[in-house]
Amino acid sequence: MGIVPIRCFTCGSIIGDKWEEFKRRVDAGENPGKVLDDLGVKRYCCRSMLISHVEIIDDLLKYFMVGRSISNE
Amino acid sequence: MQIEILKKSYAEVHFIVRGVSPRFMNSLRRAMMADVPVMAVDDVYIVENTSVMYDEVLAHRLGLIPLKTDLDYYVLPEECGCGSETGCHKCSAVLVLNVEGRENGVTVVYSKDLKPHEANPEVKPVNEKIPIVKLAPGQRIKLEAYARLGKAIKHAKWSPVVRCTYKYYPVILIVDSKCTGCGLCIDVCHKNVFTLKSGKAYVVNQLECDLCDECVDRCAQNALNVDFDKNSLIFFLETTGSLPAWKVLSEACRILKLKSEAFLKQLNELGVV
Repeated sequence: MGIVPIRCFTCGSIIGDKWEEFKRRVDAGENPGKVLDDLGVKRYCCRSMLISHVEIIDDLLKYFMVGRSISNE
Repeated sequence: MQIEILKKSYAEVHFIVRGVSPRFMNSLRRAMMADVPVMAVDDVYIVENTSVMYDEVLAHRLGLIPLKTDLDYYVLPEECGCGSETGCHKCSAVLVLNVEGRENGVTVVYSKDLKPHEANPEVKPVNEKIPIVKLAPGQRIKLEAYARLGKAIKHAKWSPVVRCTYKYYPVILIVDSKCTGCGLCIDVCHKNVFTLKSGKAYVVNQLECDLCDECVDRCAQNALNVDFDKNSLIFFLETTGSLPAWKVLSEACRILKLKSEAFLKQLNELGVV
């Protein structure tokens, strides 16, 4: 569904809670590897989960909101 | 058997065990992974879900959220005598999720919104900041989730551990008379086991070595030898946070003991022992 996975697919550790901080800090220009170190994401299975994630649900919600404003008119 | 603790926190224990066979530690490892029960959302009754996420995906995500577990109070549903389909207060806990999207912007539903019922306030998500789903204005989720004890043999959501592994204790020997201090082993080691000390290679992070033998292959002087101690193991245990690491260890030992005793009892009854 395009939202960040709750757990790492490989080892099962919780990574969902780290996504928002990871995204915010990387967008602000920090080095992704350093942010992951700070967040305590040690194994490369978990690191790849966050690095390769694309949050598609935000785009899906835009369609819903446009549809809603049209039906309100 | 001799145990040395390397690291100990709520969710993590690392230790060295000496004088033990890998076979024994492996049975303990497997007991920790698949036999120690924890709480996880098992049944979800969805009253309303107008989000972009399908009901089953939502239920699956709820199942993966680790919950605080009280092993002294709760019993496994199959061992509970209540006979109820949804379970009684001893074998199930109820959590409620009831969120509506705010009028402006996107509302993120976090694991902290998954509220435990007042009858079981202690069964709550370990982490409050896990995003479950995002809601557009007007979208709504209303559901009741039943959490139960379970074992990871059935589903991985019931596994108390994240990392539960061991490796042999590495033994690294450097023959000083052969070492020329070329530094190749330092360059090639990705675990930074070596350093240069007065013109010779020197081992600083022995426990970090994962026995890849890359340094042995590269050393032109044959000054290096990497071996392992067959009867010493380094164990790494990390839990999801639903149970403290020490509790997972002790519970696994208790379960192994119970199983061995049941086995011995049967043998006794059959007259074998």
